[in-house]
Amino acid sequence: MSSSDPNKLISKADKLTKLSLTRWSADWKSATLLYEQAANGFRVSKDNEKAKLAFEKASKGQEMLSSPWDAAKHMESAAALAKELRNWTEVIDFYRRASELYIQCDRPQPASDSLAKAARALEDALPDDAVQLYTDACVILEDDGKEQMAFDLYRAAASIYVKLEKYTDAATFLLRLGLAADKSNARNSQCKAYLSAIIVYLYAHDLKQAEKCYNDCSQIDAFLSSDQSRCASKLLSAYREGDVEEIKRVAQSSTISNLDNVIIKLARKLPTGDVAEIKGDADKGEEETLDENDLT
Amino acid sequence: MTVIDILFRVDEICKKYERYDPERQREASASADDAFARLYTSVEDDIDKALEKAEKVYTEKNRAAAVALNAEVRRTKARLMEEVPKLQKLAKKKVKGLSKEEQETRFELVLAIIESIKAIPDGSTPGVHQTGGRGTSSSDKNIKFDSSEECFESDFYSHSEESDQFRNEYELRRKKQDEGLDVISEGLDKLKNIALDMNEELDRQVPLMDEIDKKVDQTTSDLRKNNVRLKETINQVRSSRNFCIDIVLIFILLGIALYLYNVLA
Repeated sequence: MSSSDPNKLISKADKLTKLSLTRWSADWKSATLLYEQAANGFRVSKDNEKAKLAFEKASKGQEMLSSPWDAAKHMESAAALAKELRNWTEVIDFYRRASELYIQCDRPQPASDSLAKAARALEDALPDDAVQLYTDACVILEDDGKEQMAFDLYRAAASIYVKLEKYTDAATFLLRLGLAADKSNARNSQCKAYLSAIIVYLYAHDLKQAEKCYNDCSQIDAFLSSDQSRCASKLLSAYREGDVEEIKRVAQSSTISNLDNVIIKLARKLPTGDVAEIKGDADKGEEETLDENDLT
Repeated sequence: MTVIDILFRVDEICKKYERYDPERQREASASADDAFARLYTSVEDDIDKALEKAEKVYTEKNRAAAVALNAEVRRTKARLMEEVPKLQKLAKKKVKGLSKEEQETRFELVLAIIESIKAIPDGSTPGVHQTGGRGTSSSDKNIKFDSSEECFESDFYSHSEESDQFRNEYELRRKKQDEGLDVISEGLDKLKNIALDMNEELDRQVPLMDEIDKKVDQTTSDLRKNNVRLKETINQVRSSRNFCIDIVLIFILLGIALYLYNVLA
């Protein structure tokens, strides 16, 4: 049966499912079986388009047979083939559908996994959608209470934002990572996340925001007493002094070299722009406050 | 004169002046039954050996060896000082064939021995105590300085070539140690970071393992149940009762066939 032409199998299965005068109810069971065989046959012969179609139909059949798990699995295979064909909208659709089916099965883990796979596939082509998918995946995991799995997703999303040069969004994501780490008691990841956020702010040439971030994070005991906070304070004081050598030295230290690759690259490129300018801005800011005090 | 003649003449002269030979005397007195003389000669031998060692200390370059030699000399001195009371007792004893003057000379000899023992230089001055100057070894109050008192003059504290060299060497070595320690600390930092990451990863895996454990337990219990049921079914199929019934029925069939055959034939 499986050795016969997959096309024939498909047409046979189609006939089984089409309602007509002689057929009052579709025979999904055998049809699904035929669809699966056809899809495998197509995949072996590397006919991606037809295989994708066959998987879609097989998944629909499984849905009709009320087994969402198998349906979701077929959807994922279809999506993988769509990725080969570089048909991005279809990739998104299929993976989302698969994720919904997984949630129907009451299995949030594979649901977020499929969204993550989608996001990874789209990283280069449609980064905005990729970020959206990552966010959705993280939300699913957080609802289920499994934040620890979300770390990688947050990190990936932040790196996409950095690539898109949207530094505030990247830093926001890193802070969300810190929050997730806090909930799951992963102190090291939390401190690394906060340090990465501070570095991203500095790279975006925003010393005030970086300092504010540092102050906020220092409220948390775990961060305050960690290596990473010491490193951050060294970095910030080097920035305030305008000492380029010190900044470079801190960036070479082992604490920073332990962070994510993308962040290390940013750190090595510090300082961006003119550090003396930042220092001037900071001083001016102080002078202004003094003037206000004088007036009052 | 030939060599042999010279030898003979030397021998004769030695024999004539035997009593002035201190070594011979010592041997003679050692072989004698006199206990005092024996002890005296042995003590003198020891003193000579100690003096030799003390002289070697001056020529010794290696500090550790010098200290060791000094310690040996001190030990010998202590031993000899213990022997002195014995000597004194023996000196008091009256020995046969010894005149009164010799008795008195023996006393003086004993005193002289005591002085010579004390005079052996051993690189230490008795009675100089280190009083709490060093904080680390405050429990040990009897630390003696390793130099005699005359050296504490103005020259002692000025820089000498040797001490400068020593200081340089010390600085170099300390720098090398610091570099080595820096490398070690960097390596330890890396190890710490890796270990923390591993820790978190393991923490992440723990709930997954728990789930796997639960599911596998469920599956094994299901399998066991199914196995038992299967066993029961097979046993029923192969039960001996059914087998007997089958055989009886076959016999009945054969009987019927035989009867029909008989009737027809």
